[in-house]
Amino acid sequence: MRKPWYAYLYIKSPILKIIVGILAVMLAVAVLLFVGLVDGPRMEAQTANWDGRGIEKGAEVYANNCASCHGLEGRGNPGPALNSRYFFTQRLNDVGYTGSLYDYVELTVAAGRPSKANSQWGVMMATWGAEYGGPLRADQVANVAAYVMNWEADALQQTAETDPWIPFQDTPSRGSPYEGAEQAAAGPVEPRAPSELFVSMACSGCHILDQPQTDANRGIVGPNMGNLRENAEQRIESQTAEEYVHNSIVNTNAFIVDGYMPNIMPQDFSQRMSEEEINGLVEWLLDPNRQP
Amino acid sequence: MAVQPEVQKKGFLKTALDVADDTFTRITAGISAGEVRRMLRGEPPGRPNPRLKPHSEAFLLHIKPTYYHESVTRFTHTFRLGLLSTYLFLVETITGIFLMIWYAPSPDRAYSDMIRLLSNVPFGQFMRDVHRLGAEMMVAVVTLHMVRTYLTGSYKAPRQFTWFTGVILLVITLFLSFSGYLLPWDQLAFWAVTIGTSMAEAVPPAIVGETVNLLARGAPDIGANGLLRFYLLHVFFLPILLILFFFVHYYKVVHFGISLPASEEEVGQDTANKVPADRRVYFLPDVLIDEAVFLLGFTTLMVVIVAFFFQAPLESIANPQSTPLHTVAPWYFYWLQGLLKIADKTIAGVILPGVLLVLLIAIPYLDPNPSRRAKDRRIAIISGVVAGVVMIILSWMGTPQYAVQGAPSVEIVQELMPEEGAGHIREIGYAHLPLGVYDTRQELHSDDHEFAEVLEEFQASVLRFEEADPDFNNAYGILEITQNQPSLKKLHWEIHWLSAEGAEEVFLRDFYLHENSLYWEQYGLRDFNFLRPAAQGGE
Repeated sequence: MRKPWYAYLYIKSPILKIIVGILAVMLAVAVLLFVGLVDGPRMEAQTANWDGRGIEKGAEVYANNCASCHGLEGRGNPGPALNSRYFFTQRLNDVGYTGSLYDYVELTVAAGRPSKANSQWGVMMATWGAEYGGPLRADQVANVAAYVMNWEADALQQTAETDPWIPFQDTPSRGSPYEGAEQAAAGPVEPRAPSELFVSMACSGCHILDQPQTDANRGIVGPNMGNLRENAEQRIESQTAEEYVHNSIVNTNAFIVDGYMPNIMPQDFSQRMSEEEINGLVEWLLDPNRQP
Repeated sequence: MAVQPEVQKKGFLKTALDVADDTFTRITAGISAGEVRRMLRGEPPGRPNPRLKPHSEAFLLHIKPTYYHESVTRFTHTFRLGLLSTYLFLVETITGIFLMIWYAPSPDRAYSDMIRLLSNVPFGQFMRDVHRLGAEMMVAVVTLHMVRTYLTGSYKAPRQFTWFTGVILLVITLFLSFSGYLLPWDQLAFWAVTIGTSMAEAVPPAIVGETVNLLARGAPDIGANGLLRFYLLHVFFLPILLILFFFVHYYKVVHFGISLPASEEEVGQDTANKVPADRRVYFLPDVLIDEAVFLLGFTTLMVVIVAFFFQAPLESIANPQSTPLHTVAPWYFYWLQGLLKIADKTIAGVILPGVLLVLLIAIPYLDPNPSRRAKDRRIAIISGVVAGVVMIILSWMGTPQYAVQGAPSVEIVQELMPEEGAGHIREIGYAHLPLGVYDTRQELHSDDHEFAEVLEEFQASVLRFEEADPDFNNAYGILEITQNQPSLKKLHWEIHWLSAEGAEEVFLRDFYLHENSLYWEQYGLRDFNFLRPAAQGGE
């Protein structure tokens, strides 16, 4: 049998073949290690990428559907302004909504807004989401909400003079975002009052403040707080009442009072309130002379 | 008086070594450590040959022949393409199972699951890229395997049925690839599959076509039902069918033996299973080492390609309301797309591929020539090569470059900033797009070197289309880049021209580009810019 001309390319020795195999495996492992090493930054970049692409898509939806009322640059006319400092800092408080501003925008876009008959705005916000009969799919609604939220950095630079916001006549504002403008530029006004937090963080939904927690009188979803100071001192021996209440807000599943369910109380309070606010809330809750 | 034999004393070390060797021999199903050493040194086996034992004892080896003819173990005889197809199926199965963990086949979730896979799952993108690359390679390797079999005439008696199962395996592979195409639920997937299933609609008579289309899509249009059906086809029905045909195919290959090089046997003879003792190459160790090293090397190649040169695409979420400008089939269906451009759907989409399939299956019965030697098979080889060239030409006709140009104004923008995918503008990215108004009628220059290139391309492209199209005169383009939001730039494109009748026309298109957006092409060097935080958002 004649050998083909390229026969010299064949590797004959089994040892040599195995060495080639081992080298290949080592190379593959090295490349996989590299892939693993850059995977953290890659995932971060990808997260930012898809957020960014969502905003791009949202910008197109906004330009086609929203800009005619809210303005190409979000400055309103004839509808309310969105690229507004008031909108990003004060609007949620005035509406009385406990979710995030993103949730508020997404919900409003999807489900529209109930307007009063004597509303100052000529056109009512329509239900844009497909599940409410509108033209936009859920992903488009999410994108357009992300686009609106992307004005935040711009809007927070505004002053009372440059803010295009026109107050709603049917919901008078409970505060102004411009008092102490320098301080506010750094972020929302802090610390918020404990009594306000107790409502806005939805604590009041499950914990009744003016009724004591006794065997005869138990809160239905969460323990009553009328006699919180006495109860809190006895719950865990090694913790003072302050430590116990603080811990129960920050790490909500750490201790569940007998007869109640875990995972009912939200676990993100430490992100939604500053440490100072939480301490204020603890002090207020344990204060025997507290005024609701 | 009989003398009791003295008790043989066996030291501890010797006992331990014996136990170790015994265990080793059990694990290898009959090969002792000493035999492995002899194998590695290239020494012949002892008698009786202990290297045959694993073939009868071990399940995974009992389907492998104990020895091969020396001539067929040569790499250039088969290029090990059959083994490679099998291996790629294994790779697809493993990566596919990982992907299934992160995926739900519903239009509400499929696309966001892809995004979550890419941005929140360690090695998620790697798995997806391997799966996609493996799928494309599998189509290519199975096709090459068939080409090799055709060129060496290995489909001839007694291997006609092996060839038949092989053609079926090729078809299943194509359908597997195609059904997987829909699952990411992006524009690319949605429209490629919409067009693909619409070909089923063209099956005559109309009632059959409509029924087939309805069965595939689960509704008049692809939606939740269609996605679920394609998913089940992809992960369940087609793989099982493929496994079934694979075993038939493989059994036939082992049963008849791999056909020898034509020059080594008389015309009309088949001596693949009569291997003279001096030409035998045993599976253990020679063929095993060859195959293992080959597959390891191939795996490394795939890992390197995926790590540096290949990224599976993911376009915008599927939108039934908006047909993308250029709907592109996967490259292995370009030929079909090319056919569809020159004939109507029934002929090009159903009848011709059907005839082609029947022809492929019938080749062993149509070819009466008993000889497998190239010099006796001129007609067969020439017609094979002609068929290959026709496929390549059709594939070229299937690419968007051929005959589906949209209006020049649309194409100019599409070239620089396509609706989907990267394009030159998105490749240079947010940081290299200085704000301003750029008019192709003026002398354009920019301090940004990369942006200057884009402007040059813009001007050249307007000129090129102006020369090519008589309906596109006095054309000029304007690109206006404004800051739309703190991290978002708006690119406003205007193309103005005079039609052949002298009417003024204008085309407007707005795109947005976010600071953090990364766009990528499927093939090409991967962008590792995200490793340099300074490069991000640096203006």
